[in-house]
This record gives sequence, C-alpha cells and structure tokens, in this order.
Amino acid sequence: MQATGIAKDLGHGVAQIRALKGVDLALRGGELTLLMGPSGSGKTTLLSILGCMLTPTEGTVQVRGESIAGKAAEDLAKLRRENIGFVFQSYHLFPTLTAADNVRLALDVRGENGKAARDKSRAALARVGLTGKTANYPRALSGGEQQRVAIARAVVGDPSVILADEPTAALDSENGKAIMGILADIAKDPGRGVLVVTHDPRLVPFASRIVHIEDGMIVREEAGGAARNS
Amino acid sequence: MPLVFTLAFRNLFHDRLRFIATVIGIVFSIVLVTVQMGLYLGFGQMVTTMIDHASADLWVMQKGTKCFEDPSLLDTRQRSRALSVPGTADAIPVVIGFSDWRTPNGSSTPVFIVGADLRSGGLEPWNVVEGRVEALSTPNAVAIDRTYLDRLGVAGVGGRGEIRQQSVRVAAVTNGIRSFTTTPYVFTDVDRARSYTGTPASKATYLLIRLNSGTNVEQARRELVSSLVDVEVLTPAQFGERSRSFWLFGTGAGAALFAGALLGVIVGTVIVAQTLYSSTKDHLNEFATLRAIGSSRRYIYKVIICQAMLSAVIGFGFAYLIGLAVVHTTASSALPIVITPELSVGLFVLTVAMCVVSAIAAIMKVTRIDPAMVFTR
Repeated sequence: MQATGIAKDLGHGVAQIRALKGVDLALRGGELTLLMGPSGSGKTTLLSILGCMLTPTEGTVQVRGESIAGKAAEDLAKLRRENIGFVFQSYHLFPTLTAADNVRLALDVRGENGKAARDKSRAALARVGLTGKTANYPRALSGGEQQRVAIARAVVGDPSVILADEPTAALDSENGKAIMGILADIAKDPGRGVLVVTHDPRLVPFASRIVHIEDGMIVREEAGGAARNS
Repeated sequence: MPLVFTLAFRNLFHDRLRFIATVIGIVFSIVLVTVQMGLYLGFGQMVTTMIDHASADLWVMQKGTKCFEDPSLLDTRQRSRALSVPGTADAIPVVIGFSDWRTPNGSSTPVFIVGADLRSGGLEPWNVVEGRVEALSTPNAVAIDRTYLDRLGVAGVGGRGEIRQQSVRVAAVTNGIRSFTTTPYVFTDVDRARSYTGTPASKATYLLIRLNSGTNVEQARRELVSSLVDVEVLTPAQFGERSRSFWLFGTGAGAALFAGALLGVIVGTVIVAQTLYSSTKDHLNEFATLRAIGSSRRYIYKVIICQAMLSAVIGFGFAYLIGLAVVHTTASSALPIVITPELSVGLFVLTVAMCVVSAIAAIMKVTRIDPAMVFTR
C-alpha cells in the first residue's frame, strides 16, 4: 500500500480544517509499522484514508498498484474486503454471533461460505490461540480474547494489509503484549504489511518501523525495536 | 445455515420485547385484513346463495334488475314466448318480495318470500332438516330456517303464523339458509307467494329457464333476448356477478370492507417499519463494521430484508391461526367470514410484501452509513 502527498480537509466553511498536510507513507510486506502521534495529529484520518473509507482531498492511495481515486463506495468496499483486514480499538464484534461466526463473517461478505469457510475460521481462531472458544459469544470472552477474535477476523481472508487502530488501548499490559505478539507474528509474512496506530510507547519493541505524525504531517521515521533486535 | 439468515435471526430475537411488539403489529394488521377480506368473500357468497341454489340454465328478469332481491316484475305472458324458443325445456316463474309475518302472540316481523312452481322445482329450499319439501304443496305450507324459529314464534314443523292476514303453517325447516339482511326467508309455492306479496297473478319476478341437454346456452340466451320484450336474460354466473356488484359496490359495503383492509395494511406497515428502523439504528455500529470489513450494501440489505421476511412468516403464522378461529366462530352467523386457499396465499404474499416495504426506511438508513464511524466508536 502506497500513500503519496495525502491531504485531507475536514468540515466546511470557516470550520474547515486541514487534518492531513501532504503525507507520504508506504506499507511494505513483512513489516509491522507503528503510526504514533498525539491526539488530533491526524492518525485516525490517515487510517480511514488508507482503509479506503475516506477519499483524500489531495494525493493518491494505491492498493496493490490500484489507485482508489474516483472509485465509487461499492468499489472501495470491494477493495477493502479483498485486500485489507481491520482491527479496532473496541473490537466491534457482533454480540449475537459466536467467535467462529464473527470470523466467518469476513469470508461470508466475500461470498465464501460452506465447510471451507468454517474450516478457515477455525484455523484463524487456532492461530490466535482460541481453539477451545470457537462457540463462545463475545460476552463470554475477556477483552484480550475478544481482540484475538477481531484479529482472526482480520486475517482470515488473507489480506495484504492489516490496519489496527489502537488495538491494545482497552487491554491491560499483559494482554496488550500478547496482542502485539500476535500482530508481530502476522507481520512476519512477507506478503503482508501491518500498520498499528497507537500512542503507547510500550509497543515500540514489536515494531519494524515507527512513523511519527504531528499536526497532519509525518515528522519522523525510525526503526522499531524488532528491527533493531534483528 | 447461511450467515445472513443467522445474523438476521439473532438481530430480531436479540430484543425480544421489540420482536413481540412487531409480531403483534403484524398479527393485528393481518387479522384485520383477513376479517375484512373474509367478510367480503362471505358477503359475496351470501348475496348469491339463491342464485347458486336455483336449478336454472338462464334467468329472465325485468330490464335493469340489480340483484336477486330486486322486486321488479315481468309479465307472465313472456313465459309462453320463452317456451317457444328452440331448446327451452321449461320456464319456471319465481315470485319474491318482502312481507310481514305475524306470530301467534301478535307481534310481527318482516320476512322475505321466495315462491317457485313446486312441481317444476326451480327454486326449492335445501338442507331440509325437518319435514319435507313436497309438503309445501299442501295448503298454507311454508318452509323456514331453524335459525329464525324463535323470531317467527314457532317451534318447528306444525308451527303457525300469519302472512298478510293469511294463515300459514310450517311444513319444512331448513338449516343454514340465512340472509345477510337477517330478514328470514320463507319458501312457498309461487301462487301463495303472489298472495303473500300482493303480486298480481299475471306477474312474476323471474322466469327460470331450463334448456334441453346439448343446447348451446349462449345461443339460447340470445334467442330469448330477441324473442322477449323489455327483459334481460342472464346466466347464473352473470346474475351472481351482478348481484355481488350491486351489494358490494353499489351500496358502498365493499368499499368499506376494502377501506378497513387498507387501514390494516397501513397500520401493519407503519408498525413493522418503525420496528425495523429502530432495530437497524440499534445495530448501526454492527452494520458500519460490516461495511468497514468490505461488505457490499446488498449484503446488508439482505440482512434487513431477511429480518423483515422472518417477521412476516412468524406474524402470518399467528394471524392465520387466529383467522381460522374467527372463521370457525362465524361459520353459523348471518354473515360468515370465509377464507379460501386463494385468500390465504394472497394474505401471505401481502404480509411478506408489507414487511419488505416496511424495510425501506431501515435500508435508507444503512445506505447512508459511514464505515469510518467504526474508528470513532
């Protein structure tokens, strides 16, 4: 995924502000990139644009070489379901579905169903350590387990990019580390890039690269703990 | 089970109170429509009951006759002309009209006289449960329905009363020959019917035409029309349709029934729409998540439509059971509610259509959904 010269205006008239001011960012396979910055720095706006949910005022975003410019909402949805997995701060699991069905949903929206989809969902849950909890509903899972289900849902469709928005913010330190460990493990796949938006410095050891954003601009890039250790 | 169905089912049952309210709304609506349409069908059957039970290939009547109960008279000299038309086997005069029945205790009640030539048997009482039809040929004999025994002040066969100061005697009792006007039918011989209704001997209300077997009915009808003066000649189906049209649409009764049914549909649509809309609003976050993970709008519409269809099927099931109970309860009333297989299918289609239309507001809501909201909630 490649973002070049991204600018984004939010609001209208006198209330209009420029949330992003010419951001360049590339997500590469095999890397876990941390996007860090204070509140209001433009992290979520950039994540929404990279996630093909918002279109930039200026600049271009390319997903696997395909530009999102001028694409209709349905085409952007297709791009998302085929290329991007999402992990949200508050999990956004479906309370009325089991863990396995929550994961299977990501395949169902792609038209994948039946036994193959069920097998894939179970495998994805096994990968995040939830083999024995496939039939549990979210209310019967801890926060860390719910986030694991969300990660399983993000990876089950084998996307080329995973975008995670503050995935550890609602978790205690131990669960946060476990989740980051899973995401770092997922990022080892050379065909997949992972971007984690956070302001938690404890996540630095898991990152290959850290990108700092302030006032809508990338102000610094540095190697993460994982890169320094390798 | 498809995941779309599972999601719709769970969304629906997640808030049980709201689901129960939805089903009650649908049941109320469909029962109302069922009753109105059942009354319409029942009314349609009741107004043609005499036509349906007459033994005739064609009906000859005064021009402009609106329905069976219309007392317009034709000249009986037309009978000999009718008999001269090739293919005509018999032309049976029938006399109808309102009169008063005086009970032994002196009170009186209106009755509707139906008289036919009993030797030819054109329009005889049916479902006779006491006495015999043949007994109607004895002096002063009449047949009445057992529903009206109390009102006419008699206990059954042998009971006596007076019509136009003439003594009458109950010779046969029927079961289920009831008028939607609630005025009791009194069957008798055609000559006595003239006497009871004050109809001149040279007049009759109808001529029931029986044709020789193999005669072309339409050709015979045309020949009768050209041979007779100032009359109309209708097949039983045509006369039945004319009677139904008059009572259902000429009087406004049908319009009232349809208006009631329409009201039921509107109430049901509003209730289901309101419920689906509020359910969608409650699950907006989930629909936004679906959109964020790349689902098409069509997928989300399928979830909502599936919820609507589920509500429809469950609501219709309950409404149908209540409808059957209503049919059973009214079966022996003056105006029974009738549910035919066609009406059942129509009501089911209507319920599904009503619920799907109700989903439009919810669909419009999710159409405007912003998937980026998942980052801010």
